[in-house]
Amino acid sequence: MNIIGPDKLIFGVDDVAACKQFALDYGLVTKDEQNYVSLDGTGIEILHKDDASLPAPLPSGSMLRKTIYGVADQATVEAIAAELSKDREVKTLADGSIEALDDLGFVLGFQVTIRQTLDLPAETINAPGAAPQRGVNLTGVSKDFTAKPRSLSHVVYFVPDIEKAEAFYSERLGFVTTDRFTGTGPFMRPAGTLDHHTLFFLKTPPFMQGVEHFTFHMSGPTEVSQAGYALVEKGYQSFWGPGRHIFGSNWFWYFKSPFGCNIEYDADMDLHDDSWEAREALPGADNSQVFLLQSREKWAPGGPPGKP
Amino acid sequence: MGKLWLGNVSDIADGQAKGFDPNHSGSDTFFIVRQGNELFAYVDICPHYNDTSLPWKRHHYLDSASDYIVCAAHGALFEINNGDCVQGPCKGQKLSKIPLEVSSQQEIWISLTTIKEFNL
Ligand code: FES
Ligand SMILES: [Fe+2]
Repeated sequence: MNIIGPDKLIFGVDDVAACKQFALDYGLVTKDEQNYVSLDGTGIEILHKDDASLPAPLPSGSMLRKTIYGVADQATVEAIAAELSKDREVKTLADGSIEALDDLGFVLGFQVTIRQTLDLPAETINAPGAAPQRGVNLTGVSKDFTAKPRSLSHVVYFVPDIEKAEAFYSERLGFVTTDRFTGTGPFMRPAGTLDHHTLFFLKTPPFMQGVEHFTFHMSGPTEVSQAGYALVEKGYQSFWGPGRHIFGSNWFWYFKSPFGCNIEYDADMDLHDDSWEAREALPGADNSQVFLLQSREKWAPGGPPGKP
Repeated sequence: MGKLWLGNVSDIADGQAKGFDPNHSGSDTFFIVRQGNELFAYVDICPHYNDTSLPWKRHHYLDSASDYIVCAAHGALFEINNGDCVQGPCKGQKLSKIPLEVSSQQEIWISLTTIKEFNL
């Protein structure tokens, strides 16, 4: 199954205005009244939780109402429809996409991907011994900054049964497990991407089933830090970060949000192909990050102007 | 034992909440919700992970209808009057409630013993 990754997450929220403002402050761009997108067109849709067009919520009341995957072509959409209709209802929607439940009750959609190919440089660095990535007289940073999330990266679900979840995504949809935390959950990537993960699970009691966080890829660690700092300056509250994960090597910074889940910035994730052998580690702080920084207000040595 | 003045009841609009940081730690350590003329104060720590604060922005502790206290990390909902978590990851657990004093002039006070006891 040539699934590329998440194209869109659809939310049914309590405070629509706050969520839309958050989306803009995070760096997404308005596509239409309810759709907010990153540079490659992937993004989120924000509706009120009582909107009649939304699929029913999970019993936990999670605001994530649907995860739509982008796939390579119409043949893949049809292959997924054929596979899933063996044991469940698969709806075809007016836009040609299909909709079905996964084995845990999350609503999934599949469509020919809307993800556009990006042709952009990554953040550049210079280091002794390596050819400069940034030429002479080109500066690395500027205070003049707008966050530009590039692509919807991954979503993390709270699920009661990780074995069932992993089996569904691997056996029915062709996802591959790249690494796992013992007893907590696997990191998975679909066949159509090399990204370390587009999906991760955390084992929880059934009443918690829902979404832990979602995130977009940024151009590099500087953009993660600068974008996160800009959110802090706007009054948003950090949940965890900035730091760098071990599994996936991605930089992270998580923020609390009015979406009923955390929203992350990430950058510089490892790529893997089928020759990679999944690692396993015990969950916990030591195996979750190589380091964790914590934000404080901008500061400089020397005190206020005029003080020695 | 001394006490600390937190402001007047009228500083918090009905159906709104406000965070406080009495020791200037850089983030709020407790918050007060006003419902009518009643005030409810809780430690700003969500029982889900037991070491993270609730709001996504300063003072944003309530849902849009002001019916529940919300933890913005994973959407837990808590009853305003008793701090019980009724939906979300910490269902069945509760926020830790803090005693306040309200004077006849509608001034809000917290005792230094409370600040110490709850590590505010
Ligand atoms: S930390 Fe509050 S709901 Fe998870
Ligand atoms: Fe993440």
